Amino acid sequence: MAVEVLEPFLKGDTGRNTRGLLRLIILCTIAAAAVASRLFSVILDPWFNFRATKYLVQNGFYSFWDWFDDREASHPVAQLVYEPRKPAEEPKRTRTWHPLGRVTGGTLYPGLMVTSGIIYHVLRFLSMPVDIRNICVLLAPGFSGLTAFASYLITSEMTTSPSAGLLAAIFMGITPGYISRSVAGSYDNEAIAIFLLVFTFFLWIKSVKNGSAMWGALTALFYGYMVSAWGGYVFITNLLPLHTFVLICMGRYSPRLYVSYSTWFALGTLASMQVPFVGFLPIRSSDHMSALGVFGLLQLVAFVEFIRQQVPNKQFQTLLRGLIFVVFVVSMGVLVLLTVSGVIAPWSGRFYSLWDTGYAKIHIPIIASVSEHQPTAWPAFFFDLNLMIWLFPAGVYMCFQQLKDEHVFVVIYAVLASYFAGVMVRLMLTLTPVVCIAAALAISSILDTYLVAENPIPKETQANGQATSDSIKSAADVIKDSLRSTRNPVLGIYSYVSKASVVGAVTTYLLLFVLHCTWVTSNAYSSPSVVLASKLPDGSQHIIDDYREAYYWLRQNTPDKAKIMSWWDYGYQIGGMADRPTLVDNNTWNNTHIATVGKAMSSREEVSYPILRQHDVDYVLVVFGGLLGYSGDDINKFLWMVRISEGIWPDEINERNYFTARGEYRVDDEATPTMRNSLMYKMSYYNYNALFPAGQAQDRVRGSKLPAEGPQLSTLEEAFTSENWIIRIYKVKDLDNVGRDHGSAVAFDKGNKKKKTAKRRGARVLRVE
Amino acid sequence: MRSLTLFAAYLSSIFTTAVADSNLSTPLSSHQILPDNFKPPEVFKNANLLRNINLEKGYVRETVNVVIENIDANEQDTYYIPFKAEAIGNVGGLEVKDKKDPEKPAFRSEVVEYDPYSPTQFYRVTLPVPLAPSAQQTLAISYHVLSALAPLPAAINQQDKQYLHYTFSTYWPSAYLTEKQKTKVKFSTADVPGFTAEPLREGKTFTYGPFEKTPAGVEQEASVRYESTRPVIHATLLERDIEISQWGGNLATEERYWLTNKGAHLSGHFSRVEWARTQHYNPPTSALRMLTLPLQVGSLNPYFTDDIGNVSTSRFRSNIREANLELKPRYPLFGGWNYSFKVGWDASLGGFLRKLKNGDGYVLRVPFLEGPKMSEGISYEKVDLRVILPEGAT
Repeated sequence: MAVEVLEPFLKGDTGRNTRGLLRLIILCTIAAAAVASRLFSVILDPWFNFRATKYLVQNGFYSFWDWFDDREASHPVAQLVYEPRKPAEEPKRTRTWHPLGRVTGGTLYPGLMVTSGIIYHVLRFLSMPVDIRNICVLLAPGFSGLTAFASYLITSEMTTSPSAGLLAAIFMGITPGYISRSVAGSYDNEAIAIFLLVFTFFLWIKSVKNGSAMWGALTALFYGYMVSAWGGYVFITNLLPLHTFVLICMGRYSPRLYVSYSTWFALGTLASMQVPFVGFLPIRSSDHMSALGVFGLLQLVAFVEFIRQQVPNKQFQTLLRGLIFVVFVVSMGVLVLLTVSGVIAPWSGRFYSLWDTGYAKIHIPIIASVSEHQPTAWPAFFFDLNLMIWLFPAGVYMCFQQLKDEHVFVVIYAVLASYFAGVMVRLMLTLTPVVCIAAALAISSILDTYLVAENPIPKETQANGQATSDSIKSAADVIKDSLRSTRNPVLGIYSYVSKASVVGAVTTYLLLFVLHCTWVTSNAYSSPSVVLASKLPDGSQHIIDDYREAYYWLRQNTPDKAKIMSWWDYGYQIGGMADRPTLVDNNTWNNTHIATVGKAMSSREEVSYPILRQHDVDYVLVVFGGLLGYSGDDINKFLWMVRISEGIWPDEINERNYFTARGEYRVDDEATPTMRNSLMYKMSYYNYNALFPAGQAQDRVRGSKLPAEGPQLSTLEEAFTSENWIIRIYKVKDLDNVGRDHGSAVAFDKGNKKKKTAKRRGARVLRVE
Repeated sequence: MRSLTLFAAYLSSIFTTAVADSNLSTPLSSHQILPDNFKPPEVFKNANLLRNINLEKGYVRETVNVVIENIDANEQDTYYIPFKAEAIGNVGGLEVKDKKDPEKPAFRSEVVEYDPYSPTQFYRVTLPVPLAPSAQQTLAISYHVLSALAPLPAAINQQDKQYLHYTFSTYWPSAYLTEKQKTKVKFSTADVPGFTAEPLREGKTFTYGPFEKTPAGVEQEASVRYESTRPVIHATLLERDIEISQWGGNLATEERYWLTNKGAHLSGHFSRVEWARTQHYNPPTSALRMLTLPLQVGSLNPYFTDDIGNVSTSRFRSNIREANLELKPRYPLFGGWNYSFKVGWDASLGGFLRKLKNGDGYVLRVPFLEGPKMSEGISYEKVDLRVILPEGAT
């Protein structure tokens, strides 16, 4: 029999080695699967990070730190491997946030760039010259393999079942919720941050279990790395104290907890303060105060515990809890006082929007305008997590059953992350690891129970054994036994039919999960935002590449210093792919500047033109999806521009004016005059009706028929329109040669000067410069 | 390690060829420095000369068939071809052959330099066999003139016809007396609205002359303005890398182009409506829409990328007879617009490399240029070819 042949390999010392080897091979396979499933299509996306990495590699770490992005490569540029050898290239002057500039080194999380920079130099040291671009493209898949490994480690801490960790690893490796932010080429902070998140949690659990300062220090080290990589580090900053606080409240204070938390807090806070962007936030901002508070509390508890050991008292426990409560209330009071008096910065806006989903829309439209910051729609959970979403509660329930320190952590993590994921789409990413862990716990306990070929044999000795999840006892034994650990009725499975059916069902589910993941990944998450892929009737793939077409046109055919104005969503792409200065970009540090762009877009030409002139704008870029039915275009984002600029100029811009009397947002004949005269509307629909027979112009996104006569532009002229009209670029006209305003100049050219000028007299004349 | 000797070792260092050598300030070592007051000795006369100017492409190609006669008392082997100082930098691919025996290798011809400020510069042709007194020989001289065509008007509308303007001398600039000569100009269409110097018009061909007894150095300026609604493609730089991997048995070629269209600029702005409307019936246009690269048969894995990533609009047709790579730039290339890109492909090394019969060496045989094959032609300002030998080659 095969079982007998395999016997020596699966039992005893040799068996352990064999199993270890098998586990290693399985983990490597999982990592390979994780990497491979992210390679459906490769397009480098957040170009800013790539540009920053290139700058770091070329100019070294210190000048990266001091990088003020007004001119690129003001330092001598080291030739990168395989870069074109074009001679005598002048140093490029690339400015973002024209005319303000941006202190880039101090306003970004450098972890991602430094990581790729280190990999680049290590590979070079090993005499493997790799283009930095390839490193950037493959960084996210590479780290997803590591994430799978990290979730194996953390899950193995939760249970003794050997399969749970492996299941968690493969879940983590292929779940769409994580793939969405880590496909090849998606070179964003999240690419490495999720690995750091999971690994920091693993180290934390390890250190709480062992009470070891070394593990605590390692936690702090990786926490510091996480801080340098992603703004989401605040999640860790609050989760670990919460875990500690709950453990204390459960009466589970132990020196282990004291050692690990104190080590983490002291070292971790110091480490996080090394990142310039974070700086003194850990001791000034309210987001970080819970960590400080719990640290203080822990000292008190330790002190009280010490006293208790010296002074034994039966009533001490009650006293202790009272004391904790009082101290907590007092410290909260002090915290509130400090916040009100301004010593500690109030909670950041993004944080408020976590608790009140309507908050951002009213107070900080710029945050609410990002689609990732919208509340999650419920199908998204199933879409991203599939079967794990219903295994998740089961896994959390199993944690409640055991409820050791590490299980408390998972429970807290699960509760918090579920809430946050419900509030913001983006935070689905933080929920994914805990869902994978919990689902793996659930599935592995099912498999461990049902996948045993032999029938359970009731044994007297087993009843006294530890309550491992796969130990099988007869009901009679359990009733006799009064030990708490074995009080749960454990039932054995005798029938092969039920074994086969359950195992079969689970296997089917798992296979379906793999199918779903592959489908979602290849269809939804592998087409980066710059490329739209579609299928032709004959099944061949058709790629709509308008963004890059237009960006490349800008790059090749406009002056090097031409300033491009667009909505901030496209700032990084223009800065990277078109290599031209922009007014605003995805680093939305200056709300007023963004509002200025919003005002220029949403006002009449006469108002916008001076704004364009004052900001040296040469070209204006808009995204228009009307021809193709591409819904992510600027007309659909337009209301956010209006809202953001209304926040700064409430008496000039009024959101109500863009809606019809019945409160509809329309672009057709019934659109309001404010809407139809806005620069955005004119730029989107200029010349568009020439594509259609007279009066038949159709907007395929809004599904409405456009006015028979298209809008007229007088201060801008069309410079380029991409193949499917997604990108339209306009050139800002220079001042008129004979000093007329542009409206009358255009009217004069058309020959109807008389009527128009007479009417224009009365209207407000805006003098240009 | 076995040492590799490549017969084509001269290719191994990075070198720059002068397809149109625009930097005469750095003379090649083969340049002969002549005295300031140099004038070619009047030892030849051109007994009969027929000159063809071909204006069908985006550059000028001139072919001159000339019967030369030694009028000196001694044997002569040095024939000078003069060019204007401002024009010689744009002359490329000059080749002199024996008309009677075109299979023979071309004669040695090189730029000679003396006074860099002199208005006339010379190519010197060395005949392999010195010409005996009063003997005759027929030479076939051919060369390109780049950057000599200018669009007129310089800016047109998107759908307008494009006209190019070319100024030349009806007499071939010769350093010797020419007994009899004739100049023919060939256009791609018969639409030639402007010309000077009274040619004989026959369809697409103009004929000037015949002219009798034109002395050395005499010129008569003529100009033509003719329709050519086609892009004037000009590569300001081509970098071409050929990497030999004997391990993989692979010959990897990568070319990086910096293209520009030297045709007429758009007088207004680019109108997508108009462009989309005319795409159906495919009219002649001054915009570059597509490039076709005929690769060597058996080429594999082509790629077409530019600075911001893969360009999805390419097509590779490969079968046993041909391997054509069709590239479509991201946008149509109108006059004055630029486009830079990178193409590359692999090929089996076997077809290009052979082992020397004696010794350890290898011989590599690759084309110098494999650029796009366009009916309108493509001119290169600078070509930078690099052959990357395997590690450890000597």
